[in-house]
Amino acid sequence: MQANGHDKAAAVRDTIYRAALALDDQRWQDWLDLCAPVFHYKITSFSPEINKDMIYLQGTRKEMDSMVRMLPKHNTDHSPLHRHTSVYTVNVADDGKTAEAVSSVVFYQNMLDGNNSHIEAGETRLFLAGRYVDTFQIEDGKAKFVGREVKLDNRRLDKGSHWPL
Amino acid sequence: MPARNHNQWIAKPPLQQGEWIDSRIYSEQGIFNDEIEKIFKHVWVPVCHESELPEAYDFRTTSIGGEPIVICRGPDNEIRAFLNVCPHRGMLIERRPAGSFLEGQPSGNPKRMTCMFHAWQFDMKGNCVYVAREKEGYQDRLCKENVGLRRLRCEVKFGGFVWVNMDDNPSQTVEEWCGEPFECLRESLDAEPLEVFHYHKAIVDTNYKLWHDTNSEFYHDFMHYHNRITGFNDAYFARKNFAYKNGHVVVGTFEVNYENYEGFESRAELSFPKLPPNQWYMVDLFPGFNFNLRGSALRCDIVTPLGPDKVMIEFRGLGLKRDTPEERITRINHHNSIWGPFGRNLHEDLIGVAGQGATMSPGTEPRRILHGRHENETIHDEIGMRHYYDEWGRWMNRMPSEPDKAYAPPAVAAE
Ligand code: FES
Ligand SMILES: [Fe+2]
Repeated sequence: MQANGHDKAAAVRDTIYRAALALDDQRWQDWLDLCAPVFHYKITSFSPEINKDMIYLQGTRKEMDSMVRMLPKHNTDHSPLHRHTSVYTVNVADDGKTAEAVSSVVFYQNMLDGNNSHIEAGETRLFLAGRYVDTFQIEDGKAKFVGREVKLDNRRLDKGSHWPL
Repeated sequence: MPARNHNQWIAKPPLQQGEWIDSRIYSEQGIFNDEIEKIFKHVWVPVCHESELPEAYDFRTTSIGGEPIVICRGPDNEIRAFLNVCPHRGMLIERRPAGSFLEGQPSGNPKRMTCMFHAWQFDMKGNCVYVAREKEGYQDRLCKENVGLRRLRCEVKFGGFVWVNMDDNPSQTVEEWCGEPFECLRESLDAEPLEVFHYHKAIVDTNYKLWHDTNSEFYHDFMHYHNRITGFNDAYFARKNFAYKNGHVVVGTFEVNYENYEGFESRAELSFPKLPPNQWYMVDLFPGFNFNLRGSALRCDIVTPLGPDKVMIEFRGLGLKRDTPEERITRINHHNSIWGPFGRNLHEDLIGVAGQGATMSPGTEPRRILHGRHENETIHDEIGMRHYYDEWGRWMNRMPSEPDKAYAPPAVAAE
């Protein structure tokens, strides 16, 4: 990879990890600031039960923006989700303007409510696992999300999945 | 009233019998065991949808009351259900949730259900067609003809759902069991083939009846911002609950204003056949199955009770088989907006019943759960739950308000 491509791959990684921190902290606007206006988000899974690729949530940047702004009007489980993300591959296009990245991601639920917070608060549980498949546009050395697909392994999703992942 | 002392807290509420129940029916293992034997092994359970096994030799597995079940489509296109248990030494015959018997397995031949353990093989009608070294081991004492699978009653009905009854002699057909409540949806569901596009499950530490209650009462729309903003109007409050025989309930329709929720859209363009725009019907079948049609998407919830304080709920979303890719995406988006695992409502419902599960877990003090709202049988009237628990009492021969006592009809008729 050219030195230039190397810098761009580093910019992509930086954006993915900044997004992970913003999402961990529920700083939704900071997350959306890392996304281009054309950003499209989706959460998918394959179900062997019904033999179908499924979409569990999808939206444009505008739709995700409404969703996160409406969150306070909805009741929620208060246990925060934290993620461990590892960027596996970054492929920068030959013209250096776009890139694709695949990361492994595991979501942990840090129990606050649980079923009985007296017992469960403070415990961390494995919540979901999957991959981020991201696409980027690169401008002025900065990478912005154009698309993110969260490909979940799970078809069991208990309470707590109310937020973008 | 100020906060109460213990005696006041456990005193009978100023309501009639039948307007409250005892929380032990949500927490006692003995009652749970009775429910499995007396109810779940005798009612029609919608276990999956025919579109989950579209081709000959496709199969699905499931369970009712802990008994493993395999459902398969034969070369004659018939869907049949069997106990998923090998007659030899009790191995589970098929271990995957779904797949096809068209290809051979390491222990067996194509087009057969093969028990991997000692390679006994069965055809799609449940006949045993191969016993390894049959003559050598059994001589003339036992042969293939003696060891077919256990077949189960199975019907495909109401928009292509596959219904199984563990009872060989069910007292009613599927039509007799729930044809009346399905009348409001029959034309929409049977106009043309449907297809499942969504599946997920949740396992919740709560009693299965509490999930069904949440599907049958709409008073809890107070916890759903979406339903308040898109619903609460005169037509909503005029919505009627209808009680049917066998403990089933239908919640009548009205026109939902989806555009009132920021970013959401009318579902009028993709209404199910014969369904006026943006209408919303809900069919709640005893003892825990729900069919919910909101304009463009059908949802079906199936409970599998796992213990007095544990239930698995399987959620399906369905559209029309002939949907174009664009139409399908729109239906999926409509479905997901409130019902998906990342939707606005489902998650709130799960929190609600988990919270009830926490206060009524085994060993907690018995509590009185109130079902006493009367509002002319309209949307916030708790007639649905009163009707359900009266039916429950009959099947169980227990009083829902005093579960140690034999059933007697409530003072207030369940309507
Ligand atoms: S247990 Fe199935 S063949 Fe032996
Ligand atoms: Fe609800």
